[in-house]
Amino acid sequence: MARLPIGRILFIGLYLLFVLVPLYWMFITSIKPSDDYLAVPPIWVPKQPTLVHYSAALFAYRGLQGLINSLIISLSATALSALFGTLMAYSFARFNTGGKHLAFWVLSQRFLPPVAVVLPIFLIYRILGLHDTYFGMIIAYTVFTLPVSVWMMFAYFRGIPKSMEEAALVDGCSRWMSFRKIALPLAIPGIVAAAIFAFIACWTEFFFALILTSRYTFTLPTVFRAFLGFQGAQYGEASALAIVSLVPSIILGTLVQKHLVRGLTLGAVRG
Amino acid sequence: MAQVGNMKQAGSLSRLEALSEWSDRHFKWLLVVPAVVLILALSVYPLLFSIWVLFVNYDFQIPGHAFVGLKNFQQVLVDPVARWSLWLTIALSVTNVAIEFLLGLALALTMVKTFRGRGLVMSIIIVPLFISPVIVGQAWTLLLQRPFGPTNYLLGLLTGHEVAIGWLTESPWLYFSLIIADVWQWTPFMFVILLAGLTSIPPNLYEAAEIDGVGDWQVFRRITLPFLGPMITLAITFRLLDAIKLFDTIFIMTGGGPGTKTYTSSFYLYTVGFTQFHLSQATAGSWIFLALTIVVVTALVRKLLEVDQS
Repeated sequence: MARLPIGRILFIGLYLLFVLVPLYWMFITSIKPSDDYLAVPPIWVPKQPTLVHYSAALFAYRGLQGLINSLIISLSATALSALFGTLMAYSFARFNTGGKHLAFWVLSQRFLPPVAVVLPIFLIYRILGLHDTYFGMIIAYTVFTLPVSVWMMFAYFRGIPKSMEEAALVDGCSRWMSFRKIALPLAIPGIVAAAIFAFIACWTEFFFALILTSRYTFTLPTVFRAFLGFQGAQYGEASALAIVSLVPSIILGTLVQKHLVRGLTLGAVRG
Repeated sequence: MAQVGNMKQAGSLSRLEALSEWSDRHFKWLLVVPAVVLILALSVYPLLFSIWVLFVNYDFQIPGHAFVGLKNFQQVLVDPVARWSLWLTIALSVTNVAIEFLLGLALALTMVKTFRGRGLVMSIIIVPLFISPVIVGQAWTLLLQRPFGPTNYLLGLLTGHEVAIGWLTESPWLYFSLIIADVWQWTPFMFVILLAGLTSIPPNLYEAAEIDGVGDWQVFRRITLPFLGPMITLAITFRLLDAIKLFDTIFIMTGGGPGTKTYTSSFYLYTVGFTQFHLSQATAGSWIFLALTIVVVTALVRKLLEVDQS
């Protein structure tokens, strides 16, 4: 443990301030009485904190419904994405299924501009009656997170030696049993990490939800539309909703911090 | 398998055996089927469907789907807003990624040696990565918007006279606001990847350089940069491909305005498709956008596969 030179401490300190000030101001706004909004000088520590904005955001602005919808959609999509992603990743890692091309094709889905995909999905959903339904959102988010799940798990499976599974095959296990009884239990930590990244991606996603939902299955991020365009009247409500939304994803993200590099680069870089 | 032994009828036994043998033989393909079917249904099929949309008039304000040839493309290509939004997308993405890279690299270099409290500092720095861009836009709106946000007041204290900048309504300040929100959210992306790169450089190289009395700048140029090279390419390309999708913070912070001053390509296509309901025109625009990005995407994915093989 070395002591840092003063210049570095200053730089890190300033950067931390840059990260924390917007979050602090948002939190303060969420518990500040509306009368204090325009106070000069600005009030950094409210004397009479209030929770009134939280109840307004959750009930009057249907934030609670958005929260429930987000939970249903994100959890279901995460489960499907982790399941199908793990199966595909195992096949890629052990059998090189489809060679480079299939893996390339799955990965390239991650980089398609959402606007190019979502427009036609919107048209098809309208025809099939999937617009503004849970099912429609869940499968859209499953596909949206599949590349991350597949590639993270691909990297993970390749880190697990093949020899035990091969021994099991020699002992007469079917391929499915050697996957389920040997490889899968070893991969659980990787699956949990990949699933958490998928969940955060769904939880924070805005563009798909904006277009594929409207009155019924709108997700938490889309509720913020309600606060646009009014000169500051609903700052407290917007802040309260933001706090409600960011706390779970920050906690989850911090839990998988050590997998972050793999998550961000789809397994290409080991952290 | 154990269950098989319990089966009484010989016929079903052999059928089950045949089935399990079949599934064993095609095991690797069975595993990829669900994911492939989903991607086909929700990515490939919509894209193919949209090829038809390209050449007809698919517009919620006009009934029917008459064949119009290349008119949809033409309308996008002659639209000055489309061109403006493409330039703005390029300019904003390049600026954002450049700042994020430099700041992320500086942070990574500062943080590479362990010190007391490093773990906590790391945890704070990466927080923005887990927040919805919508909320990031909202947070910066709260700080910047006149007259509510404290920014103008604080600047007034610093400069000594009253500051009344419309950070979200006046050019060029609104570009600055959009950039700072993006930099706030994505600098940690560069930071964590570059930090991982820095920690993988063998420390004995630095020790040797120290013994030889090589200066800091020379060490950075001769050791750090060459080793970090592939990681830098990866981080920048990765980030650039996400940066060109810029939409959420614009939607929240400026709504594309004033006028069309902050239209990015994504925002432009969204507006054409979902507020004007010229769906064919928006589809044509998104295919042009897709064609422009696909070149970069292909190059990146190839690169990723190479890194992966080594």
